[in-house]
Amino acid sequence: MAVRAELVEREAARVTVRHEDAALDLAASLPRLLVAARRASSTVAHGLHGRRRSGVGENFWQFRRFSQGDPVGRIDWRRSARDDHVYIREQEWEAAHTVWIWIDRSRSMAFRSSLASVPKIERAVVLGLALADLLVRGGERVGLLGVTRPTASRLAIERLGQALVFASEDTSELPPAEAPIARLAEAVLIGDLLAPEDEIAASVARLAARGGRGHMVMIADPAEETFPFSGRTEFVDPDSSRRLVAGRAEDWRAGYAERLARHRAALGEIARRHGWSFTIHRTDRPASEPLLALHARLAEAAF
Amino acid sequence: MSALPLAFLSPWMLLGLLALPALWLLLRLVPPRPRRVDFPPLRLLLDVVAKRETPVSTPWWLLLLRLALAAFIIFALAKPVWNLQPTAAAGSGPLLVVIDNGWASAPDWDARVQAADAAIEAAGDGGRAVALVASADAPRDIGLVTAGQARERLRVITPEPFDPDRKPLLPPIDKLIKTVPSTEALWITDGLARGDAHAFAEGLKTALGDGRLTVRADARSARGLAAAENQPGALTVKALRAEAAGSEPFRIRASDLRGRTLADVDGRFEPGARDAVATVDLPVELRNDVARLEIVGAKTAGAVQLLDQRSKRRSIGLVTGASTDVAQPLLSPTYYVSQALKPFADVREARGQGASQAVEAFVAEKLPVIVLADVGALTQEAHEALSQWVKNGGVLIRFAGPRLAGAPEDDLSPVRLRQGGRILGGALAWETPQPLASFSPNGPFAPLTVPKDVTVNRQVLAEPDVDLPDRVWATLGDGTPLVTGVRQGKGLTALFHVTSDTRWSNLPLSGAFVEMLRRVVDLAGSNPPSKPQEGAAAPQAAAGARAAVLAPTRTLDGYGAFRSPPATARPAPAEGRPAATQDNPPGFYGPVDAGVALNVLAPDAALARADLSGLDVNVSPIVVAEPTPIAPWLFTIAAVAAIADSLIVFLLGGGAALLSGRRAGTAALMIAAAGLALAASAAPGLAQQPPVKPAIDERFALEATLSTRLAYVQTGDFEVDRLSKAGLEGLTQTLAQRTALEPGSPMAVDPAKDELSFFPLIYWPVVNGAPTPSPEALARIDAYMKQGGAILFDTRDALTAAPGVENEALKRLLAGLDVPALEKVPDDHVLTKAFYLLNDFPGRYSGSPLWVEALPPVEDGEERPARAGDGVSPILITGADLAGAWAIGANGDPLLPTSGDERQREMAYRVGVNIVMYTLTGNYKADQVHVPALLERLGQ
Repeated sequence: MAVRAELVEREAARVTVRHEDAALDLAASLPRLLVAARRASSTVAHGLHGRRRSGVGENFWQFRRFSQGDPVGRIDWRRSARDDHVYIREQEWEAAHTVWIWIDRSRSMAFRSSLASVPKIERAVVLGLALADLLVRGGERVGLLGVTRPTASRLAIERLGQALVFASEDTSELPPAEAPIARLAEAVLIGDLLAPEDEIAASVARLAARGGRGHMVMIADPAEETFPFSGRTEFVDPDSSRRLVAGRAEDWRAGYAERLARHRAALGEIARRHGWSFTIHRTDRPASEPLLALHARLAEAAF
Repeated sequence: MSALPLAFLSPWMLLGLLALPALWLLLRLVPPRPRRVDFPPLRLLLDVVAKRETPVSTPWWLLLLRLALAAFIIFALAKPVWNLQPTAAAGSGPLLVVIDNGWASAPDWDARVQAADAAIEAAGDGGRAVALVASADAPRDIGLVTAGQARERLRVITPEPFDPDRKPLLPPIDKLIKTVPSTEALWITDGLARGDAHAFAEGLKTALGDGRLTVRADARSARGLAAAENQPGALTVKALRAEAAGSEPFRIRASDLRGRTLADVDGRFEPGARDAVATVDLPVELRNDVARLEIVGAKTAGAVQLLDQRSKRRSIGLVTGASTDVAQPLLSPTYYVSQALKPFADVREARGQGASQAVEAFVAEKLPVIVLADVGALTQEAHEALSQWVKNGGVLIRFAGPRLAGAPEDDLSPVRLRQGGRILGGALAWETPQPLASFSPNGPFAPLTVPKDVTVNRQVLAEPDVDLPDRVWATLGDGTPLVTGVRQGKGLTALFHVTSDTRWSNLPLSGAFVEMLRRVVDLAGSNPPSKPQEGAAAPQAAAGARAAVLAPTRTLDGYGAFRSPPATARPAPAEGRPAATQDNPPGFYGPVDAGVALNVLAPDAALARADLSGLDVNVSPIVVAEPTPIAPWLFTIAAVAAIADSLIVFLLGGGAALLSGRRAGTAALMIAAAGLALAASAAPGLAQQPPVKPAIDERFALEATLSTRLAYVQTGDFEVDRLSKAGLEGLTQTLAQRTALEPGSPMAVDPAKDELSFFPLIYWPVVNGAPTPSPEALARIDAYMKQGGAILFDTRDALTAAPGVENEALKRLLAGLDVPALEKVPDDHVLTKAFYLLNDFPGRYSGSPLWVEALPPVEDGEERPARAGDGVSPILITGADLAGAWAIGANGDPLLPTSGDERQREMAYRVGVNIVMYTLTGNYKADQVHVPALLERLGQ
């Protein structure tokens, strides 16, 4: 049976409320995600989730006796007035992590074959937003690389979704090159990652320049993997509009499979070089699989 | 002409076929379009080392399909036509068109006119002058006219009810050709040899010289009827045909003077026979009423035989010399005679006057048979009148008796009589009563069997003259004559040598008496064998020499329908003619009960084909099938091929996946759309119509219902539709002026798609040749009629329709409808009183009855001035062209003249007002008769 493959319409490929809902459904099935803090340090940007110890934070942790050297300003006079001692009000230490998520929104992401139920963009957005929700519920700060600043709001999905809706059309196949991420921040790149290997390598190197960790998720349509075409076929690249006419598409299958394997190996190598992770997700698989994997990777304690 | 009746109107388009090889090369080079797939990882694919690509070529069968497609389109553009009408010779000189318009041309007259029209039109297109000659019309000088004038003239030529006389046409034709030598001729002939066909063809050929003569004739010519004879046993008639073809059935219809069918008789031409005798076996009383015999469906005057009074029921005058004693009828001398005559004749008895006066009266009434029962002497005047009457064909039957026996010798007896009677078997006589012994083989009684029980007591005796034996019809046992008879002039006298009552013999009591009288009476109207058909045995007025001619009463037209005599008809000789001529067209001449009938074909006529074989002429048929353009079908085939090509390309490109995949529905839709396109192209006529509206078009509904409107059915004939619209507009104005009804302007409806129920009355002009409505449309019309609507069908043919012949178009139209029983509007129908009081229902033409649904019969004791059934008659049929009478132009002036005066138009408007009022108010007017009763019941 011949496989049909097409780009979904632009309208259908836009981020809408349904993605947010799908992301919420997906995120609800997973536990809170605490990104492992690799380094306990007050210099870390103010975070949101308590570390079960006193430190810099907003939430009350305990009162303790004033001891020499404590700043006077930290004395809780109201508590101190109740007995003869002077108490200092301590807050729980809160350390927050920033996770930058990048979702490939190029035209090629609108691709869907008859073997998959959703286009790649849909899976990528759902995955990214679900991840954001998990992170926010775990108290982390989440930002969309090149689109929003990090936020820790409980309404992160709505905000990020809104931001995606109103973001300008982005046709680049790679994350924006503006700035490397911070040393302790993490990056999650979700896309089909079909750009040339050296461009991907350059982009990842730029992001990881300050030591930030990252994860690459390659969203692939089953048709892109199995190449189920046969007969006289004209292939069109949606991004560059280049085209190729194959007289007998089945003759190209082996060569393509071999080339795809090389591409993926190269991506794996890039990830390994920067200490990043690399995951391949096929859109005919459930979306919870890559989410679980990311969950596991992000939650890896690396103290 | 090729063997196939196929011709191309633009044959040069066929040159396009030369381009096919080029197309073949082109198609070979262009492979099928690949299937297009979006593929994001194309960059990876580009890195793959390209395989060796084998060029993909179009499969040969697809190539063939496409070439065929192109060929079909080229053929279609060349405008092929099946059965192209053959046109006359395409010369440059004038065209002489001779069209036979005798009776034999009538059955397919329209086709002949069409053929002539086409030829004239073609000549006109070529800028050629035309001369048109109708062979049955009086010869006159032939002048060249333009094609337009010739077509005008062609339109007024009608088939005439007699044989064309072609020979007199030759001199003027000769003259024309001498003037314009380049003339070519077209002769549309009826194919019969009658009317000097061969000589005419030869003369035409000679006159033309080397000019071309084209003859159009059909293989089958008209059928004729001749020699209708009222034989003693039955009415026989001979059907004729010109071709000794195979077995062929026909049906003879016998009808009376008023057009009522008396009998239908089937006959059959035997294979190879050119005539066939049909026998109409009817009781003599009915047989006498037969006035017209025709071949059903022949549609020509030649297939009609008219019968005059020769075969009719005879009136017999009965005169007695005895004083009439009505108190004792059994003793009356005329009782037995009148009883014996009654079964086959009208008996008139002279009452209250003397025998001579009675004889004079009967002679003046031109009775064919007079019976004198024991009349002795007549006055001199009566005697002369009677003998003159006998010479002119009267049949005189005399009975003996005491007065005759005592009367002096006269010349009204067949034999000389001895004075005084002879008594047999009496007390003083020695002879016994004599039985009836034999009938003379020469006499009219020869076929009868001799009754045994007849005895004669007394008789008058004949003088034994030399010629006596020839005149004896019946003899007694002793050889004396009982009945004698002799021809005198055209008539005859017969003498029964006994009385007409039972005093002298018991012959009047015998059954043989009736038969004998019948035999004698049958002799009236038959002719002396030496002069067949002559005279029609018309017992003319005594002064036969003066009344030599009879004026035409009713004549036949070329189609065999009765009409009033044309202005050119002359009186016919009283003795009739064997066959009709131009001056004496077939029909009835003289008074209704004593006229003569003239027929197209003489009794001894035979039909034969005109023999044109010896002449070098080009003969082609007249009635050719309708020319059918084939281009639409070729285009359809091309469209189908194109669709098939698309499907094949679609399937070759992997479309099967679509068909089997989830989008099968879409594919099915596409195929359905293709099917629709096919259907649309398969019916090129329909494709030009606007798209079908939804069940009820809202705008149409609003327009139709916001005010009451009259509606008319659009026939598609522009002129008819224009008149319908103008007519209904005129009626609408009249209604608004005169009645409380102010209708909106009339609307056109199409019963196939418009909702009809909005209209109280729909005017439907019946157009010949209009297509029969589809079954769906018929169902809608039927529903409309069933649910209270009324349709006024107007055949508009009151002037042209043959009486009693139904309009074909209307018949076809109504065949699909459930039409109730119809009747002509009776005098007490509410239609005659709905608004105006009307007696008849004229339109543009008067005299056409208005047919409505038959009312239930009047119940006993019910006296009502107006009757109406429940509701409104759903159907009204007229032929009076009402819309033509109503039609007004933009300035309010009538568009068309009426057949009568302006008062007829006023009456037509009144008819329209009554019809509209009737459809709107139903039986309201009829119910008005109850008003007095209601008022009375209310206590007034």
